[in-house]
Parts: sequence; C-alpha cells; structure tokens
Amino acid sequence: MASKELLIFEKGNGKSHKNFIPKMEIEGIDIDEIIPPIYQRAQLSIPDTPEIEIVRHYINLSQKNYGVDNGIYPLGSCTMKYNPKINEITARLSGFSQIHPLQEENQGAMEVIYETSKMLGEITGMEGFTLQPAAGAHGELTGLLIMKKYFKSRNVKKSKIIVPDSAHGTNPASAKMAGFSIIELQSDKNGEVPLDQLEYAMKEKDVAGIMLTNPNTLGVFDRQIKEITRIVHENGGLCYYDGANLNPMLGICRPKDMGFDIVHLNLHKTFSTPHGGGGPGSGPVGVVNDLIPFLPKPCIIKTSEGIICKSNNEKSIGRIKAFWGNFGVIIRAYTYILALGSEGLEQVGQISVLNANYLRVLLQKKYDLPYNRICQHEFVLSDKGLPNEVVTEDIAKRILDYGIYAPTIYFPLIVNGAIMIEPTETESKNSLDNFVEVMYKIYEEAHGDPELVKKAPNNTSIGRLDAVLAARKPILHD
Amino acid sequence: MKLDFIPHNEKIIEEMLNTIGVNTIDDLFQDIPDDIKIKKLNLSSGLSEPDLLRYLKSLSLQNKVYSYSFLGAGCYYHYIPSIVDFVISRPEFYSSYTPYQAEASQGYLQAIYEYQTIISKVTHMDIANASMYDGSTALAEAAIMATIITGKNKVILLEGIHPEYIEVVKTYCWGQEIDHKIIKENQLKNEITEDIAAVLFQSPNFFGDIENIEDMVRIIRDRSQKCLIIQVMTDPTCLGILKPPGELDIDIYVAEGQAFGISPSFGGPGLGVFTAKQKYLRKMPGRLIGKTKELYGEKTGFILTLQVREQHIRREKASSNICTNQALCSLAALIYLLSLGKTGLKEIAVQNFQKAHYLKSELIKLSGYEILNKKPTYNEFMLKCPNIEALINECKKKDLLPPLKMSKYYPKLDDVALVCVTECNSQKSIEKFIDAAKNAIENY
Repeated sequence: MASKELLIFEKGNGKSHKNFIPKMEIEGIDIDEIIPPIYQRAQLSIPDTPEIEIVRHYINLSQKNYGVDNGIYPLGSCTMKYNPKINEITARLSGFSQIHPLQEENQGAMEVIYETSKMLGEITGMEGFTLQPAAGAHGELTGLLIMKKYFKSRNVKKSKIIVPDSAHGTNPASAKMAGFSIIELQSDKNGEVPLDQLEYAMKEKDVAGIMLTNPNTLGVFDRQIKEITRIVHENGGLCYYDGANLNPMLGICRPKDMGFDIVHLNLHKTFSTPHGGGGPGSGPVGVVNDLIPFLPKPCIIKTSEGIICKSNNEKSIGRIKAFWGNFGVIIRAYTYILALGSEGLEQVGQISVLNANYLRVLLQKKYDLPYNRICQHEFVLSDKGLPNEVVTEDIAKRILDYGIYAPTIYFPLIVNGAIMIEPTETESKNSLDNFVEVMYKIYEEAHGDPELVKKAPNNTSIGRLDAVLAARKPILHD
Repeated sequence: MKLDFIPHNEKIIEEMLNTIGVNTIDDLFQDIPDDIKIKKLNLSSGLSEPDLLRYLKSLSLQNKVYSYSFLGAGCYYHYIPSIVDFVISRPEFYSSYTPYQAEASQGYLQAIYEYQTIISKVTHMDIANASMYDGSTALAEAAIMATIITGKNKVILLEGIHPEYIEVVKTYCWGQEIDHKIIKENQLKNEITEDIAAVLFQSPNFFGDIENIEDMVRIIRDRSQKCLIIQVMTDPTCLGILKPPGELDIDIYVAEGQAFGISPSFGGPGLGVFTAKQKYLRKMPGRLIGKTKELYGEKTGFILTLQVREQHIRREKASSNICTNQALCSLAALIYLLSLGKTGLKEIAVQNFQKAHYLKSELIKLSGYEILNKKPTYNEFMLKCPNIEALINECKKKDLLPPLKMSKYYPKLDDVALVCVTECNSQKSIEKFIDAAKNAIENY
C-alpha cells in the first residue's frame, strides 16, 4: 500500500473536528480579556485529521512493527517475556488509573506500593525498597546516590567505582551521573571477575565499591560471587547489583545472599510489564538495613493508621521523581507476582535457564560460542569463523527475513561480533526449534549464498537502512 | 489454581534436558554455590485470573474516584479520546522494545518520528527527543545539559517551579556537585552573572501565574550571553493559546506531557517532553529517531540515530544514562494531539482559560475568599479561604476531588487552596464548587 509511506501530517483534510471538546455551557468571556494578546501564539500548525485516517494510519504502522506478541524476541539482557493480558486489565481499573497522586483517599494504591515493596524484598532478600525510579538506569542512579550519601554521612570520601568491562552501558553512565569516576575491570577468560585484580583495584584510594550483574552479560553466573563481595566489603566498599539479569535467579538465589547491598530491578523485564517500545518501565531499588535511611523521599511505611508516606527523612538522598514512580507499571508487576506466587516465580527462573541452555547447545553446533559453559538466562555467540565476510549484523538482518526478531548484537563489548540471545521462559519448544532452524538456514546461506545474507533484510517493509547517513545529516522531524 | 505462562509439559522438559545433556534442571544451576541457594520464597501461592481480578478490584475500590476534579498541581484530568488507548493497546506497539532492529520496527520508528515532529510544531522548538521519564527528571537533565554546554557549574531556579520538581533537580545537582540557588523572579536582575549555567523557570508556574517571559528573557540575556534559559510546564495544553517557547528564545523547553492523553494513574507513568535549540542537538539526552534512506535502495525509512551520545556506546562519556524511556506515552501524546488537531487543542486551551476564569470571578463575589494571583492564569489559581478544611470537606460531600492545600508544600500558606479547572469541569460541577465554598463559610 503506497499510502503507508506517507506521514500522518499529509492525511489531514483541513476540516476541523471538535469530537473531543465538551460542551461550553457557561458564557466564557473573550480570551483577550483573560490573557493579553501579546502572550498568545499567532498560529498552530498541527493538522486537523479525520479520526478514521488516524486509526488506519497507526493500525497500518503497527503492522510494520514486531512485538513479543508476534513471535520470539530473543533480545539479550532485555527479558522479552510474554506480557500477561490480565496486567492490562488491572492497570486500567478506574480505581487505579483515574486517581490523582495528591488525593487523600489512596489506601488501595498505597497498599499496592507497600505490598510490592515487601514482595520484591522477599525475592531479592533486601530489607528496604523504593519504587520511585522510572526505569533501570534511573534505579542505578538512585542506588549510586544512596551509596554516595552513605559514605558522605560517615565522612568518608569515595569518588571511584569499579565496573567490569562486561557491564551494561548504563552502569558507567549512571556512575558518572552520580559523580563517580570509573575503574574498569577486565573479565578473565571465563567471563568472571578476577579476584586478584579486584583486590588490587579496591586498594586504590577512594573506591566506593563495585557494580555487578550476576549472572553477567555473558549469561554466566560468577562462581566466586561470595569472594567478590567479601573483598569489596573488607576494603570498606559497597556492592551494587544490576538486576537487569534477575530473571533466572527468581526463587533460586537472592542478591542479598550473594553479598550485595543495593539492587535495582527492571519491572519491565523480570516482572512481565510490557516494554512499550522502549518504556515506560520501572526500576525499583532495594537496600540492606543500614542503607534504608538513605532511600529517596517519600518512604512508604505501615503504621497503625494504615500505610502512609514519610517524607521528613533527613538522611535521604531526596526526591528522584515527582509523585510515586510509574505506578501504572507497578500494578502490572504486582498483578504478575500475585498471579505466579512463590512456585510460579521459581519455575520462571528454572525454565528461563532451561530454554537458554537448550538454544545454546543447539546453536553452538554451527556458531562460535566464546564462553563455552552452562549459561543462565542468556548466552553470547560470535561471528568468528563465518565464511565470506558475513558478520553479525548480516545475521541479525537475515533473521528478520524469517519473520522473527533478532538478538542483541555487538554487546557485550568483550565479545567481538557478539550475538546475545535470551529466549525467556515463555517460549515454547516449537518456537525455540524454529529459531534454531532459522539460524541453521542462515548458516548454510552464509556459505552458499552470502550475498543474500549480506544484503538482508529482503522481506521486510524496508531494506537495510543507512545509519551513517542518518547520523551525518540528522533529520529529526518534518 | 494459578496463572502459569510456561508452555512446556513434563515430557518436553525431559526432552530438552536430554538435548542439553544434563539430568535435572538443578544441574543447570551448578555454578551457584549451594550455601546461597534458597529453598523457597516466602510468598503466597499464585492466583487464578478470576481470583486475582476480584482481589485487585476490591483493592482499587479503596481509592476514591470522584465525579469531578478541582485538583491539578502537576497531574491533570483532561478528556482522553477513545482512540488513544485503542492505538497504544496494539500489541505490535506495546509488546515491542527499543527499536534496535529498524527494519522490523518501522511502525514504531515512524510513529516516534511523528511524535518528535508534532512536539516541534506545538512548541516551535527546533528539536524534540523521543521522551524522558517525566517532567521533573526532564528538568533535572536539562539543568545538567546546560552545565555541560556552558562549562559553568551553577543553576538558578525560580521559586514558581513545582516543589517536587525542585527537589528532583536538587537531588540530581547534588549527584554532580552542581550549585543551585532558588530565587524570586524579582531577584533575577541581581542574580544573573557570567558564571551561571542556566536559569530554570516554570510558566504557567506552580501558583498558576503566567510569567512575562519576554521580559525575563531580556533581563537574563542583558546580563549573560552564555546562560541558558530553561522553561518547564506541567500542563502543556495551554500551548493551544500561549506563545510557544520556540518563539520566546527559550534554549531548552521541557514539560510533563501527562496532560496529552495519559491517564492520571496516581502520578505515573507520565511523559517527559524534552526539546531544545538545534545547536544543542549533540548534547541532548535521550533517544532520537531520524529519517534516512535504504543502503541498497531508494526508500525512505526511520532509525535510532546519534546513538554515539548514548550510554550503550559511550558508556561513562554519554550525555545521560537514560535508556528505557516512556515510548508508549509518547505514542499516546501523539495520538492525543492528532485527535484534537489545531482546532481542538486551541479550543481546549480556550475552555480551560474561560472555565477557570469564570470560577475565579464567581469566587471573589463571596466574602472571605480572595484570589492571590496578580498575573494572568491558565487553569489553576490560588484561592485564599476563610476555612480551607471546611471547603475540602464540602467538596468531598459533593463528590468533587478537592483542590490542593498549598500547606502541603508551603506551610505558611495554610489558608490557601490551589484550584484547578479544566475542560472536563461541567457548569454543574463548577456551580457545585461555588456552593461548597459558600457552605464552607455558612455551616462552620
């Protein structure tokens, strides 16, 4: 359909619609008497568009988009699991969606926040939680500010933080936003943190601690995790757990028991809230007892008079977002946790790891697996050994031709040409087998018909796009 | 009976374990030391869908939903066209993620490009990003961006900024050791010096006042050429009438976009609108969608661009740590603005002005009440009350969500209410509010 190429702005017809304007029953006085004309705009250039044109335009656009409801979405470190539809129903109950953040009669909402905090506490082992942060990176910033404030309260100067080279890119960026400089630690040949180098780094002056994800971005559980956290603690540091990879640990092992002091979670990853095309998410932060006073304002506590908010906490890092966090996302996660219960969550951890290992074993028959060992929720292949100069990007684009989404590529940076695959627990064996079959076919194509792969995608609504052109001459709107 | 989203049966699990070459699922967790494995989470058992829904419904009923609202203060009740939820509920949109694979994500990429376009049109700013978390964090990131651009380390906030936004800016500034100072508007003349990175102000401000922005900009520019001017709004529907920031020489304009078709939802998720002048493009935080062409063809398409600013490439040198943002809320705002069109957005703004103004003019007729705003106002104003508690109670009796008690944020203003009236307030509801105000004098 050629019309799909048009932007919505070309579909207006100049006829003004007032479908969404309530009746004006009172006699309003002339606008110029309320607001001086000099404060008013001369013109507004957004089109008037018939409703049917808007609906058709976006339904057609939606058909040029791929979500996890279309099929497997094996984006590593993103945990693209199925989003239960009941979540959408509960978040839209008017008692949740139509309430104002500053209204008094809010006990149902406060209970959602309080109970979700408690349950996340049980899942991670942490004693205190805030649900304020709006996404994972926001949670990281919050957690690091807590760290900073904690040391400040003890009059200890700490300006550096250790981040392994396998970390998510948000880790160093968040550390910088919290005012820390970064000591990058190289992973060892098993993808783990080398203890001697960690010890060496911790002996440097002013080191606040470490940011770590475990299992890490190679999908590998660091077997020496207790040693790592011990070394950091013995040298006066704190341990931060990046919860982006918590999914396989559900009901199996808890960050607190690994020795961590601060954790952020991604409700849109582990707890099934929709990714929304890149948000909204939610990034709750949990801490051990000693750090509770530093949590952001307001703190939600339970008293004899019900669940209330406490905002006079002197040691707190302060507010990190207006109101209560992404409440609509929190309800969805709360719904999910209640739905699954303790046994359901444990199964999530188990099956996410089963699915990942199943794919790993089958795919390593054709593709290079640089860290060859049992994985947790994800694993990383590389393009090493592919013939005819076929590279990771080509593989990813060719996957799209088979009507499914590609894994995360070129991340983690410690693997050249990384292909990072996380199937999640909600993929059936059929779906996994289909993915394997596609990957095998592409492997054959790379040998027999490399141009097909290198020019891919060929079956999508558009061919491979020129990223360099987009960045050289940015066109960001019409 | 509980919900279960795992597709495998026992036999399939067995087969998969065989393929992997292990005997049990536990074998897959052999890297985890035994002493930190847990036996069982101490949570309740799972629930079936009907049981779950019944419970959550009952919980939601503990929150009161009023027929009409007179509360704003950063979160607004505007009418949301039905098609907004219809479009954002399309699973292809809401169950996708950041469009890293552009060729399989053209729908969303085009939609966000259209969002960036419509925001540029409404604000007249050169460029808009794909979104920030909310108005408060957008403002904080704007302040940080200004310190990066200017190399100066101090920002000035005018006191009319939403008090929770001020707190958020303070927290972010503390993280980066940026100095800040909160001043009154009439102190501007004396406070602007060459070492200021930015002045942050809100208009219409938290008290309801619409500032004389042209005057403010002149005062600032006369005293410093380097200082950036950052405007924030909590209800940008006023742009249907008010002069947009792009015509007022504003450097960075941010807003809470919840008013654009997003339900209040206890204050989140909202939408951080973020716009700037073209020259600041490469210092901007957040995702940007750009137009480009096929590599091996001529078709036009859309792609995430200027990613070298971003954390996943630049790591600690990135302009911000933001990754996941509020994409679906951007889509909602886009559909909202398109549904209204220029005619509708203008009409909405006019109704907000007129209805709020009508209520103001009726209230000053009542003895004991006083409107504290000396400047023009949009849909919010400060009402000094003879008995504010009585007014709140009377509102509740009439099923009206009462206005904000200003003392929540400003203890000294203990007899002042911040009243909000939008297009959703019918004449009947406004009359009820006037009755409530009358009763609050007579019956107490």
